[in-house]
Amino acid sequence: MTWKAIGKSVVGTSHTAIGIGCQDSVNHIVVTATDGTDVLLVTVSDGAGSALYAAEAAQMVTCKATEYIKELLQKNDIISATHIYALAEHLYDQLAQAALSNEVGIDEYSCTMLGAIIHEQYTVFYQIGDGAIIRTDEQGSYSTIWWPHNGEYLNTTAFVTDHLSMPSLQVVVLQEKINEIALFTDGLQMLTLSMDTMTVHQPFFKGLFHHLRLADTVEKTELLNTLLAQYLDSPAINARTDDDKTLFLATRLPA
Amino acid sequence: MDEYISFEQIPFGSDNFADNPEPRCPCVLLLDTSGSMAGMPITQLNEGVRTFRQELLSDPLATKRVEVAVVSFGPVNIVSDFHTVPNFHPQELETTGDTPLGDAILTGIDMVNRRKKEYKENGIAYYKPWIILITDGAPTDEWALAAAAVQKGEVNKSFAFFAIGVESANMDILRQISARSPLKLKGLMFREFFIWLSASMKMVSAKNPGAAINLLPPSGWSEL
Repeated sequence: MTWKAIGKSVVGTSHTAIGIGCQDSVNHIVVTATDGTDVLLVTVSDGAGSALYAAEAAQMVTCKATEYIKELLQKNDIISATHIYALAEHLYDQLAQAALSNEVGIDEYSCTMLGAIIHEQYTVFYQIGDGAIIRTDEQGSYSTIWWPHNGEYLNTTAFVTDHLSMPSLQVVVLQEKINEIALFTDGLQMLTLSMDTMTVHQPFFKGLFHHLRLADTVEKTELLNTLLAQYLDSPAINARTDDDKTLFLATRLPA
Repeated sequence: MDEYISFEQIPFGSDNFADNPEPRCPCVLLLDTSGSMAGMPITQLNEGVRTFRQELLSDPLATKRVEVAVVSFGPVNIVSDFHTVPNFHPQELETTGDTPLGDAILTGIDMVNRRKKEYKENGIAYYKPWIILITDGAPTDEWALAAAAVQKGEVNKSFAFFAIGVESANMDILRQISARSPLKLKGLMFREFFIWLSASMKMVSAKNPGAAINLLPPSGWSEL
């Protein structure tokens, strides 16, 4: 099976109210590895609400990460944690450069980063800050790779721009075949995760993945992508969160 | 084709969300009700607190997330413990006694610490608590301990403390207590101040890089 993926970033109602745009971003692509198999790349980023260039930062991080990893995959058979540290430093440098040319501090480019590189044989996950990556296990239930990184307060987290040494960068390489993942930013955390048990709220994802597996044409996948954007902007969701929200879903499981 | 149409009409997206309690943002108002506040000041202050509630009620998420507590001094009295906005019913404050400002501050700090503990025990996510002090005088009690507690709390990011001076307030002492510059209320513009405070609280859910609290500029109600 090849990958089917949908993903949207939708502006939060609190951003609309004060006239600022969406400061989340998602970027994904399926590329061919050196061994000829498909590799799914995805990066999601949430620009800090108080950063002047939050939207630009999130956009830069997701696009540049895809670019960088694509190149890595052309030159390397296996992607390791070391490559991801280099990626994070590369992104930090890009943000620092942009901050310099706009004559602002790098804090004005604060943003989080979540991503995955899914090869046939192995998977690399990486994350700085909040939001979460969800995977499906053999039993068909969903679990987080890492619990969202928030400080004591809900509105504090770690950013790509924090430090060059990247103390808050989390990387894991799993030597197994992953068939289904979801990534989301903190705007959806309270809806998708049960905070008291620190588990994934299973019903949220069950229906979404069910329909994505059913989509057997590109047109149907595209249609789901449109429906996803409408869903993320629906009153049911906006009643529970006023933040920007990004949801990315990918599966290579049959219906 | 039939199948395609049915696919197009699918109800995509679950409305089954995790049943988490809303995250909370605690806010303590420490309000000076000493004798010197008698007359117009206390009337305007009461009006301001009512406006504060109204303004927060106009925002659906702030209504569910902000928790307000009121302490009057002196003597120090917890008029109302933490309540979400719909359950917060401002009581008419009357002027009495002196200005035990130090004791009031320590009470406010105790209250936010206790509240945070309750959130943690119940698995409720929360934002940084705010303590707002409004006074028109000078402390009539020992305030050095309170000043140290405020400084310590700010350094540890335990809460954000704001001091607002009214009319003849001793701004020098407020400066020694508050890590942030205290602000002087222009005339008796309590209403404008509380509109500003509620707008700032609505913005709290924006993420903060670093330690700075993301406040709106104090326009209109403060003297420079």
